[in-house]
Amino acid sequence: MLLNLIILPNIAQLNKSLLQYLKIMKKISLIVILMITSLSFSQSQALETSIKTLKGETTSLSEFTAKNDLVIVSLWATWCVPCKNELDAINEVYQDWQDETNVKLVAVSIDDSRTVNRVKPLVNGKDWDYTILLDTNNDLKRALNTATVPLTLIVKNGEIVYRHSGYTPGAEDALYEELKKHI
Amino acid sequence: MKSTTKLVLACLLLPTFLFSQEEQDSTATETSTFNKFMDNLTGSFESNAQWYLNDKETGRFEEDEHLRANSYLKLNYYFLNNFSAGVQVESYAPQALLNYDKELNKEVGLAEYYINYRTDKVDATLGHFYEQFGSGLILRAWEDRALGMNNSIRGGKIKYTPFSFLQVTGLYGSQRRGFDVSDSEIMAFNAELNINEIVKSNFFDQISLGLSYVNRNEDFTSTSTNTEKIEIPKNVGAYSARLGLSFKDIYTNVEYVMKDKDVRLNNIQPNKVSFSENKLFDGSALLFNLGYSARGFGVNYTFRRLENMSFYSQREDKNLINNPTNRATLNYLPALTKQHDYTLANIYIYQAQPGLYIENYESPRAKAGEIGNQIDVFYKFKRGSLLGGKYGTKVSANLAYWAALNVKISDPDGIPYFSSDNLTYESDFLNFDNKIYSEFNLEVNKKWTKNFSSIFTFIDLHYNSDYLVEANGAKVDAWIGVAEGTYKFGKGKSLRVEAQHLSTDDDARNWLGGTVEYFFNSNFGVYLNDSYNYEDSPIEENSKIHFFNLGGSFTKGATRVSLNYGRQRGGLICVGGVCRPVSKNTGVTLNLATSF
Repeated sequence: MLLNLIILPNIAQLNKSLLQYLKIMKKISLIVILMITSLSFSQSQALETSIKTLKGETTSLSEFTAKNDLVIVSLWATWCVPCKNELDAINEVYQDWQDETNVKLVAVSIDDSRTVNRVKPLVNGKDWDYTILLDTNNDLKRALNTATVPLTLIVKNGEIVYRHSGYTPGAEDALYEELKKHI
Repeated sequence: MKSTTKLVLACLLLPTFLFSQEEQDSTATETSTFNKFMDNLTGSFESNAQWYLNDKETGRFEEDEHLRANSYLKLNYYFLNNFSAGVQVESYAPQALLNYDKELNKEVGLAEYYINYRTDKVDATLGHFYEQFGSGLILRAWEDRALGMNNSIRGGKIKYTPFSFLQVTGLYGSQRRGFDVSDSEIMAFNAELNINEIVKSNFFDQISLGLSYVNRNEDFTSTSTNTEKIEIPKNVGAYSARLGLSFKDIYTNVEYVMKDKDVRLNNIQPNKVSFSENKLFDGSALLFNLGYSARGFGVNYTFRRLENMSFYSQREDKNLINNPTNRATLNYLPALTKQHDYTLANIYIYQAQPGLYIENYESPRAKAGEIGNQIDVFYKFKRGSLLGGKYGTKVSANLAYWAALNVKISDPDGIPYFSSDNLTYESDFLNFDNKIYSEFNLEVNKKWTKNFSSIFTFIDLHYNSDYLVEANGAKVDAWIGVAEGTYKFGKGKSLRVEAQHLSTDDDARNWLGGTVEYFFNSNFGVYLNDSYNYEDSPIEENSKIHFFNLGGSFTKGATRVSLNYGRQRGGLICVGGVCRPVSKNTGVTLNLATSF
């Protein structure tokens, strides 16, 4: 019904622009396909990117993963509702997860200076038990080639072994299933 | 262009060829060399394509190209332990999506490239880089593809950390402007000192100090014929000092920025760039933040005053009619209000008012900056308490108030419409009288059972359209209510339903909105949302039209594909506190993002 509202544009013109688009996609797609097929997650170097603690000290994810064998990394923001839902949901079961897998969760906020001052009160207000780090100018977000948040990683012995973007209600169960494979 | 891309790829591949020459005897090592190369290569690809359609309700799509796409391919290569190099190729084919910067004008082009060397103490980059000093009030180079914002700097940057308590940064270069760079050079320095690492304080948990300097060197070509015109400085600098403290659960930080005198825009014809060359004006910014947080409770207060603080790589970009996407801004001045997710809460959004604009057209007015504050409170009612129930209840509130700086204009020539080039002004330091925006919002987050949870949001706002969007004398007082519920069916299946209402007697009057979203599993979901302005109002363009969106998204690992069909309301679209005007459009959107 909604489609009826619309007068289709000139088909010839669509063909022209579609061809143009496809031509350009062809140029780059070869490289992209080559990459995707030939490698898995090789972004572990990105974990060395400098980020800050809540006290303003410089640190990095690799510093954190060096101290903990199994780590969940979540890139989130105070303005991102699915991110907060994910961290809320995990918080409910975090104690069980820790008992069973000895996992630690580090939540890296990508809030910039507009909202970064909300991070500390929000984390406390929500009573989260995670380690919180700040990526205020999104250096880590760029190094991990992240298009959208939330981004969830499982890091085992300093290597990224699982990566998922987005959160849907209940997805924490799938994450836990994945986590158990890496104990 | 092809040749540049090839050249860059060749440079990236070069190190592998060097390695493989050393080990060319065995095929086994060749394979492992290839794997090694691939292990050190990372990247991402993103393409946002839109097919604009003619729409019976809102009219034909007036422009030539109906199908357009913005695409980004980024490659990073790590080598020799401490080095990395990378490129970003961008494509706007056959032209950029609607409302993107018109400088993004190539079908395929090499947009960025860099080589970086990093050790514990040194981090040096040649090529394009991103950077932020302090909170970004003085300098921020960043990228936001949804906004079409990329103001990275092309040049050299070195970050040196001689001791764990001291970091100094120096940089030099020109800021990105479309596929090119600005006609100016930026030189900047920054020092961050963590004092309580030197003097172990028993009282403070954190004492940090920051100092920055940013200089823009740009030639000025005079166009004024006024006999009283003065020389315009080639170098315009800005200076920032910051202090951050925390003791126990209390933390505070304060920043002050001064900006050198510079020429002001002349707005006699708003779409034509010219300057008033008789007088110079300096700028300043003051930011203060104070917070307290303990388990289950947090509160944060922010105050900010901005006067003549918009700072662009090229003076002409200060004209926002020619530069609606804020290209080549040196500093970051977001609106300090709560960022909303719901569609109806995004109709009347505050945008920071940092610049000096003497508007001598339509209703003459002098804008010199803004002053205001906001407070956030977060609280969790414990599990088992009266209001907490079985799972606890989370409440957050935000109160924001923003005013335009109060200014007194003095015009020695007495020419009407503020059109004298000799015009000067004085501003009050603390005067909150000229209210341009206020907002109160309350959000209650409640989980009822193991599978059902809900969020209730209430927003009450005042929006001074007269000042903010030059709507003669108009203002908007509105309240918005949103209720959303999510039910989990297990195995990743879930349903989310959201209902929204915006009530106002002003502007386009009442709106009704809603969303239904269903996830089949954690990878695949579909949604439908609609906003409908159901009351008659003088704003016909928004009246009795459904602004709907229906679509789905599929996520697997690091890849996300989404397809959407919908009608987009015209107005301000804001992401992360930065807004840009968009025109109304209808169409099909395909977004693809992957990283490897």
